Amino acid sequence: MTTISKEHSDRLYWLGRYTERAFTSLRTIQKLYDKMIDDRRGYTNYLKCFGLNDTYGSNDTFMRSFLYDDCNVNSVAYSLERAYDNGIVLREEISTEALSFLQLAKDSLGKSGMSANTRLSLMPLEDLLFGFWGCINEHIYDDEIRNIIYIGKTVERLDLYIRMKYPYDIAEKEYIRLLKNLNRVPKGTPYRYNTKYLSELVIIMGTEEDYGQSSEKALGSLEHLFEPTGVTV
Amino acid sequence: MTQQNIKQFTKAVGNATEINELLRRYGVKFGIYKNGVFNEQFFPFDPIPRVIASEDFKSIEKGLVQRVNALNEFLFDIYHDKKIVKEGIIPENFIYISKGYLAQCEEITPKNRIYSHISGIDLVQAKDGEWYILEDNLRIPSGASYPLIARELTRIAAPDAFSENEIVDNRNYAKLLKETMEYANCGGIRAILTPGRYNAAYFEHSYLAEHTGSVLVQNDELFVEDNILYHRTYSGGKTRIGVLYRRIADEYLDPLNFLPESLIGIPNLMEVYRSGNVGIINAPGNGVADDKGIYYFVPKMIKYYLGEEPILKNAPTYLPFYEEDMKYVMDNLEKLVIKDVAEAGGYGVVFGRDLTKEKLEEFRRTIIGEPRRFIAQEVIDFLDLPILDNGETVMRKADLRAFVLSGETTKVWASGLTRFSRNPDSFVVNSSQGGGFKDTWILK
Repeated sequence: MTTISKEHSDRLYWLGRYTERAFTSLRTIQKLYDKMIDDRRGYTNYLKCFGLNDTYGSNDTFMRSFLYDDCNVNSVAYSLERAYDNGIVLREEISTEALSFLQLAKDSLGKSGMSANTRLSLMPLEDLLFGFWGCINEHIYDDEIRNIIYIGKTVERLDLYIRMKYPYDIAEKEYIRLLKNLNRVPKGTPYRYNTKYLSELVIIMGTEEDYGQSSEKALGSLEHLFEPTGVTV
Repeated sequence: MTQQNIKQFTKAVGNATEINELLRRYGVKFGIYKNGVFNEQFFPFDPIPRVIASEDFKSIEKGLVQRVNALNEFLFDIYHDKKIVKEGIIPENFIYISKGYLAQCEEITPKNRIYSHISGIDLVQAKDGEWYILEDNLRIPSGASYPLIARELTRIAAPDAFSENEIVDNRNYAKLLKETMEYANCGGIRAILTPGRYNAAYFEHSYLAEHTGSVLVQNDELFVEDNILYHRTYSGGKTRIGVLYRRIADEYLDPLNFLPESLIGIPNLMEVYRSGNVGIINAPGNGVADDKGIYYFVPKMIKYYLGEEPILKNAPTYLPFYEEDMKYVMDNLEKLVIKDVAEAGGYGVVFGRDLTKEKLEEFRRTIIGEPRRFIAQEVIDFLDLPILDNGETVMRKADLRAFVLSGETTKVWASGLTRFSRNPDSFVVNSSQGGGFKDTWILK
């Protein structure tokens, strides 16, 4: 029988968010790495997406900070640490096997930091994160538990895609995924959507034009999507 | 196969690095506080197993079952009629002075009369092959998860070692634990209560929850209503808990019955327990039976309750409380090991031979002033076991924590936690003191 506490539901949600943040950041930074081959400051647009100042000065300094510096809250290392922090208290729910992929991902990132070829050394890390999601699908039989993790994952991905101004057709697919996950949440539980903010999101994500013009508002709706105040259904 | 031809299977088991990497992968850690700062460490594993022959284990098994059965009888007696005290087998003083005795547990009879569901009994083997009991742990003995996962991983890293040797499979611990929990269940789900992420044994709590299909809970997720213990769910509902395997000490368990300042307990839990509405593993109040002072009396308990001769021996022990023993301790202090009965985890253990003349005299005065606080034991020259140290095989002191589970019957897990000292001059094997662990193979 499922019995999930409030704290565990929050941990599950943030496990999904941080693992996704690590994954999408990793993929984006790898694309930037390719761009940097031709551009000495190939990262500046990325910083702008997150409202960050350029204090890095070089591609290499940027890369090291955004990949390996666990004091940089926007780095892959930081996101992986937070994902692990949430995962370690969920062992009995997500399985030792799933947790081990986060440990391996942390170790892999550490090794990558000492490698002469950054791009090549990051490839196993991506595989390990795929392995983590495979374990989540394989080992978690409880739909409610798995769905909370996936809600975290899809909220995070949509948030990042909107910030990074991904094309509408790609963002829309993630938005539809999120809607499907939200529809599975039982009434009266913390990750049941807030109607007001979901309605806002539905309007913005409804057309390419609204998506292009109201991305800030979409981020606000996502942020408040699970606020308990207001009417929930 | 014996410990003597160890080299043969040292090779088969492979190198420590591979297995330690697997242990790291699966997060086999323990926490330790140093200077107020919490650090998580990987528990160093040595791949050379301790090997116990089948006949030897059968004898240990019988002795442990006998001992734990007697200790369970003792706990029932102490919290009810106290016949063993009335008949002068154990002085009253030793019961009521013990920090482990809890008046709040008087007249409580747990389901099926079992108090110590999971007993961790520490043994050492002397060089002549004789096994001695060093101490009984009947409150919240920890450590079973480490050899359990280590066996799983060594079978991956070194399958030949297991196909070529006839070794009893020890991977049934979670099943035994689940059965034990179910036997104590008063109706509801199984839960493991942890103080949280920053407890030294958190890995074990979460690993056992995963493998027994129990819910891992902290106190703020639990509440008592109408004398029933519930888990508060995220939807605002509640799920009844029938058995609670608590991994927090008695005194923190219920602030309304024990330490009022406890922030990790559950108010009114003892009322629910007293009413028989929840099973608590192990029963509160067990500390009276694993007190180092009470240890001396366990062989007498076996005779008293079971009418049998003890199969396993205690290490030769003296109680300065008795005049005759005090004289012996004073005359032989430099060759004895003295243990503070209130301490655990390898703390409060002093070897007389390590003390200067001045310190010895000072300690002598402390013992005379507080005779009930200490026990003295002969130093058993226990068997050294081989461990791999930077590729070299070296010999180190090791003990064995055997796990005895009491449910419908009393069973000894065919394995155990073998802990060793990494320091060549030390007899202290506790993980909190830098020790490592190895697998324990029981031969078929």
